[in-house]
Amino acid sequence: MMIPLWLIPLFPLLGVLVLTAIALTSSPNEKGADEGLVGFLGVLFPSLAFIATVMLSVNMPVGGYRETIGTWFDIQVFHADFGLLFDGLSRIMLLFVTGIGSLIVLYSMGYMHGDRGFARFFAYMNLFLFSMIVLVLSDNLPLTFLGWEGVGLCSYLLIGFWNADTKNCKAANKAFLVNRVGDVGFLLGMLALVSVGGSSLLAYPELAAWLVNPEMGEQLLAGMPLLTLAGFLLFLGCTGKSAQIPLVTWLPDAMAGPTPVSALIHAATMVTAGVYLVVRLSPLFAILPEVLMTITVIGLLTALWAAIAGLFQNDIKKVLAYSTISQLGYMFMAAGVAAFDASIFHVFTHAFFKAALFLGAGAVIHSLAGEQDMRKMGGMLRKTPVTATVMVFAFLAIIGFPFFAGFWSKDLILEHLFMFNHFWGPVFYTIALLTAVITAVYMTRLMVLTFFGSYRGSAESEKHIHEAPFCMLFPMIVLTLGSVFAGFLWAGLIPGADFFKNWLAPVVAVPQMTATQYIGVPSAHVSTWMFAALGTLAAILGILIGWKAFSGPVPQAKGDCAPTGGKADWTFAFDKLHAWCGILPTRFLAWVTDVIVNRLVMFLQWFVGAVAVIFSDGVRSFQVRKVRMQLGFSILGMLAVLVIAAIYGGSL
Amino acid sequence: MQAIYIQILALILLTIGLATALSRRNMFFVLMGIELSLNAVNLSLVGFAKTLPAAASIAGQIIPLFTIGVAAAEACVGLAVVILLFRNQETVDTDNYSNMKG
Repeated sequence: MMIPLWLIPLFPLLGVLVLTAIALTSSPNEKGADEGLVGFLGVLFPSLAFIATVMLSVNMPVGGYRETIGTWFDIQVFHADFGLLFDGLSRIMLLFVTGIGSLIVLYSMGYMHGDRGFARFFAYMNLFLFSMIVLVLSDNLPLTFLGWEGVGLCSYLLIGFWNADTKNCKAANKAFLVNRVGDVGFLLGMLALVSVGGSSLLAYPELAAWLVNPEMGEQLLAGMPLLTLAGFLLFLGCTGKSAQIPLVTWLPDAMAGPTPVSALIHAATMVTAGVYLVVRLSPLFAILPEVLMTITVIGLLTALWAAIAGLFQNDIKKVLAYSTISQLGYMFMAAGVAAFDASIFHVFTHAFFKAALFLGAGAVIHSLAGEQDMRKMGGMLRKTPVTATVMVFAFLAIIGFPFFAGFWSKDLILEHLFMFNHFWGPVFYTIALLTAVITAVYMTRLMVLTFFGSYRGSAESEKHIHEAPFCMLFPMIVLTLGSVFAGFLWAGLIPGADFFKNWLAPVVAVPQMTATQYIGVPSAHVSTWMFAALGTLAAILGILIGWKAFSGPVPQAKGDCAPTGGKADWTFAFDKLHAWCGILPTRFLAWVTDVIVNRLVMFLQWFVGAVAVIFSDGVRSFQVRKVRMQLGFSILGMLAVLVIAAIYGGSL
Repeated sequence: MQAIYIQILALILLTIGLATALSRRNMFFVLMGIELSLNAVNLSLVGFAKTLPAAASIAGQIIPLFTIGVAAAEACVGLAVVILLFRNQETVDTDNYSNMKG
């Protein structure tokens, strides 16, 4: 059914305006706004956006819908429109962005109960969803960049939501600044694209058409170095937003925000934007094999590193943060071997189980009155059975246990990795499989420490443990269903349900075909059952190792929950790297500009001033006291002008 | 009489006027010198006009009339300024007018 596309972003935007008005008007009174009203409005607008998306999705034509609202820039060298594009890719993205987003907002009603900034929080959440919708729905890079910056801003606002604590503000600043580094890449990438073929290349359909246009062959060949550069720079933007090496460090720190925010950042918005952009630009990346190779390697390294770092975390949310980084690594390696649809499929399934995990973790933290250290938990299985069940299902999904959502998508990625190349394929596959084992180990550790054994906190806090209210449980249960069954949209076990691939095909089928020409010899096909068996084995092996290693006595918690000693090096290596490679050179540059360049400029300024003073003093000596002398000088000057005019004939 | 003689006369008058304006210290003489150089220019214009055919020479004969009119007004203003200066400074010696030196 065709309804105007701009309705989808309009609803959350309306929500932002209404909720901001409520937050502002209620700010002077002691209690804050009415929570029921604010919560209702906060959930209503994202849900309306979801309904609009569903209505558009039904019977969508193959090409999708495209709509131009108006002109944004129109100058000679640059043209950009407020254009919206609703095709196979943005359909899937929008369905889970608005759907899971609405569920998380509903959950926040329970989680944020009693918080003084209740209305402000919901306004920010709506703004977050609005930005993400703009990012996904736009048909050109500049508008995507607008949404891209919007989610950056909202993540800053929400990570630092409890701004009374300086630590939270610092985490928010860090997220914002690290994202800016990536954004520079995004901007320069756009610039490189424009310099190759004009500003029409910034619109996705035009870019795709231009890249396959045979008449443009020579221009394309000549622009290849610049296009490769554009690919690298745009990928840098993606690493910033999706927390990949080298811009990984902000995501674990982003756990300073309220838990629903973490769920929103990790599942529905923000971090998936990087993967989305890579897939959206797949026609461009498909002809750049070097960039694709880089994406795969970065994805592999990030996945492995984050999985190992996740082993050492004691904060329940940080474990999940590192697991997100690791899973994003999987998505990028899939995109890197030109399996763009598998990449989006993993984004899709990951959105369900990661949202369920975060909401479950949030419910645990909520019931323990804000305790996040896993060493002070334990035995929650009997105290909060529903939460525990949700977590168990999501856990099985993330480690890739057979028939759960993560199993299908991860298996697909592993298969594509192996098939990618006869030499590199098996190497990549081994690393990715090893990562899958480690994933299962640290997730088992999380489950064992949190839900099994006996409660290790104080007896006083034990009395207050309670199951979450219904408005928190309902989203968790829906997401659990998603993390159990989402995989069947591709698996083909249920006839008629495997439409996921066909939905994406109009967008990614051509780039995938193109990319295979560049990549070279694929390795021989091995039976799908082989991959499935190995994936299952990895999951079970991980559970066994995790159970063996962590079901014993847990060390007493001391101080805060950050890892110490050698373990800290695994997790904070990139902070040091940033300090050495990013902050130190910048400081040095600042010193150079302050001490050397500034002095130079000051000297220049002084020099010009001195020359002016000397010159004017000299000129002043002509201004004698006698009027007649001055008259004589002016006549002399006029004569000089006349003489010059006579000599050069007035054509000087 | 050739036109060149008129120009030579005009040049002599201009030089005398400028020399007077530059060398005399009395303000009145300075003004007189300026008037003289103005009239020298008028003479030069009329002299050149004489060399042209009658129809074209009319501009050269009319401009001096304007100049004389403007010079009369200028002399008027100039003398008024001198009177005010005299009242203010008690002198007509130009070398004493130096309060505006930078």
